[in-house]
Amino acid sequence: MKNNIRQTALDRKMDRIRALEESGRLSTRLTSRTARKLLSNKLAVLGAALFLVICILCFAAPLFTRWQPGAISLRERMVQPSGEHLFGTDQMGRDVWARILYGGRISIVVGLGSALGAAVIGVTLGMFVGYKGGWADRLVLKISDVFLSFPQMVLIIIMVALVGQSLRNMILIFILTGWPSMYRMARSKVLSLKEAEFVQALTAFGISPMKIAFKHLLPNTVGPIVVNITLSTAMFILQEASLSVLGYGVPQEIATWGNIINVITNAGSIRYDWLGYWWMWLPCAAVLVLFVLAINFIGDGLRDASDPTQIG
Amino acid sequence: MLNFIIRKLLGMIPMLLIITLLIYAGIELMPGDVIDFLIPMDQLAEMNPEQIAAFKAAKGLDGPMITRYFSWLRGVCTGDLGYSLQNNMPVGVLMLQKLPATIELSLAALIISSVLGVALGLISAIRNGKLADNVLTVAGMIGVAIPQFLFGVFCIILFCLNLKWFPVGQRGTAGLLDEMHHLFLPAFVLGISMTAGVMRYSRSSMLDSMNCDYVKTARAKGLPEWKVNLFHGFRVACTPVMVLIGFRLPMLISGSIVIENIFQWPGVGKWFTDAVKTQNTPIIMSVGLFMVLLVLLSSLLVDIMTAILDPRVKLS
Repeated sequence: MKNNIRQTALDRKMDRIRALEESGRLSTRLTSRTARKLLSNKLAVLGAALFLVICILCFAAPLFTRWQPGAISLRERMVQPSGEHLFGTDQMGRDVWARILYGGRISIVVGLGSALGAAVIGVTLGMFVGYKGGWADRLVLKISDVFLSFPQMVLIIIMVALVGQSLRNMILIFILTGWPSMYRMARSKVLSLKEAEFVQALTAFGISPMKIAFKHLLPNTVGPIVVNITLSTAMFILQEASLSVLGYGVPQEIATWGNIINVITNAGSIRYDWLGYWWMWLPCAAVLVLFVLAINFIGDGLRDASDPTQIG
Repeated sequence: MLNFIIRKLLGMIPMLLIITLLIYAGIELMPGDVIDFLIPMDQLAEMNPEQIAAFKAAKGLDGPMITRYFSWLRGVCTGDLGYSLQNNMPVGVLMLQKLPATIELSLAALIISSVLGVALGLISAIRNGKLADNVLTVAGMIGVAIPQFLFGVFCIILFCLNLKWFPVGQRGTAGLLDEMHHLFLPAFVLGISMTAGVMRYSRSSMLDSMNCDYVKTARAKGLPEWKVNLFHGFRVACTPVMVLIGFRLPMLISGSIVIENIFQWPGVGKWFTDAVKTQNTPIIMSVGLFMVLLVLLSSLLVDIMTAILDPRVKLS
């Protein structure tokens, strides 16, 4: 009943991998098994490919477009897609394709940078303070409680109003609102590992808590951390876009995916003929959705692959 | 149980104090003076410092921050939420005007996402591995990746502006039918954006319960398949799904802020973003307090629900 088609296919693949391992032709190291499990997951591979393609397009943007994202040309406003402008131009005559590529750089950096920053802070605190326990642990736990009792949007809006809109502030705010959930996850992992026998043995040998936390516990939690980073990257990219609609995002003059899509809600006027001017927002929306989809595929694949209890 | 609830509720008090103090300090530190939003610029240029000081005193904007915070706190404890700086209306009265709009929207979205999510999850679990399951899973993944506002704006452009099926913005005023007509699209957008999560969750919990022995027993007894699914499988599967409602409340608040702004829905979320733009302290504080309280209460609700539904969980 439980084995659906995909699972059985994966099971068969896993059986093959295990047979090869047992015959000694493949190493049994856990990382390589994880990699093999990941590679046999079609959606994850598709996601990774999509992720790579979009990243290359964005970060090597000058190779794929000769326009600048901010170059205004009032004579060519809202021009239809053509050989000259691949996806036409927007209300200010800026090339949409160039804006999508250059804007992607910012959006990806905001998403990935915030997720990594939040992970560094959250995991460091969770690992070390969580392992040591005591008053520091209770304090950090209370602080994270304070952060988590806000609906995230409310907290972000107040903070943006407080420190002002800029690219750097956006990333800092995302890090500041994102670390508590990372911290909670790392802490709960550490607490469950703390009682394990190998940790008791390490303590008996007199190894410092710092070393135990980072050298011995961290590698055991790396799976969920990586999964969490990918999923928060997707979340932050979506949030950046939502915030720019509310007028609290990255400043308007910087091209980001959120700001590009936002032409359709700009100045509070949603026009009936935006469907006719589809090239101004639809391609960018499609790229955003594809990118988030790709990250989610990778994240789901990593979750399945890094879970040692799951064979297939 | 009662002990636990009381302890949790008491624990919320210091939490609320810290959070409200933080929000208050945050508003205080925002760049720009509130007075710039209250008096037109040309008037402000003609006022001398004494007049400005008198104006601030009349609005209760003078004195150190901490004393103003405590006078706000005293007001809240006696049921006085203060007055809006913009139009001197009592915040409590305004809140009672805005709140029904938001509750109506959130409740409708909650119902849509629960009914649709559970039903689709159920179908997906029963047709496990078949075409319907695969289609629904892919649709769910795409649904998670589409930003709420994009879906909302798209629906406005298509259904309101081009097809003219629905009115844009504002609540309906002329009777129930008109209200539903206005409510449908924003509630639908907000609900759909949360459906994917519910669907995924109810699918996996239904799959778990369908694998249990008593379901197999029921099937072996020769009960019709739909009865087995509905009365034996779903009954147990639906308990964790109920708990999920508590988890969705904070998400609902964040979502309603975005949706209310796009649909010009006159609710608390739009009120809040407008108030932040003009540094209207009494409104920001009241809405902030309300939302934080809602999050804390919903997490308490989740704890209680899990304890009631799962006898293995001990509250401590």
